[in-house]
Amino acid sequence: MSAVAWQRLGAAWGARIAGLCRGLRTGPRSLQDVAGAAKEAENRSATDLSPLILQRNSMRWDGKVYEEIPVAHIKATYNNTHIQVVSFDNRPLARTSCGTEGFQNAKKGTAIAAQTAAMAAAAKARGKGVLHVRVMVKGLGPGRRAAIKGLTMGGLEVISITDNTPVPHNGCRPRKARRM
Amino acid sequence: MANHLRFVGRTVMVQNGDVEAAYSVLNRILTQDGLVDAVRRRRFYEKPCRRRQREAYEACRRVYSAEMSRKISFLARGIRQDPWLGC
Repeated sequence: MSAVAWQRLGAAWGARIAGLCRGLRTGPRSLQDVAGAAKEAENRSATDLSPLILQRNSMRWDGKVYEEIPVAHIKATYNNTHIQVVSFDNRPLARTSCGTEGFQNAKKGTAIAAQTAAMAAAAKARGKGVLHVRVMVKGLGPGRRAAIKGLTMGGLEVISITDNTPVPHNGCRPRKARRM
Repeated sequence: MANHLRFVGRTVMVQNGDVEAAYSVLNRILTQDGLVDAVRRRRFYEKPCRRRQREAYEACRRVYSAEMSRKISFLARGIRQDPWLGC
């Protein structure tokens, strides 16, 4: 896993590291070299103390910092897709799934169902005054890409996409292989 | 990643409103890091004997395809030594 969790020295770091992540696929060592070089450059130029270390990231969406923007959790299983929009302090804003949109059984595990569920969730979130959203996707299912597309089509603006798929470090034993 | 800082790892910012490009970047990063394969493989349990067979097969395949691509690029090279030099 090359995308290591760097120590966040404020929001400046996060956006810069995410910016470095983009398009720099040259292996873990070079990524850390770049991060180290960036850190050294920052330390060197911050010998005139205040501006660079205390300078916060100036990216704002509607005047809000990145950490204050609501989060849209998308859980994309193989049989269904759940979407929940939550504020930054974990207050629920909107929750939909393919089942709440009237799809049944096998039709819930499709991309179209995920897209309609995402559009409904986006409409509900817009009703509560949400404009920008950061997306956290969990799971590899058919609705993974379609749900993000549905959120955009429903009027929410996606500013970042995170992958939160749980990867156990050899924890629970999964079910047996099929077709034995 | 419940025990890590949120929004630091596996995060891609969307540039200029281009969500599709950001998603494809994220997908490429995850595939190249082997995450997509790992998650798909862990969906069902893989017995240790099957796992050893698969790893041996992948190692052989890696060697074979590296050698084959080396051979092809050697045969298809453009700049060659002049075989009749000195005649």
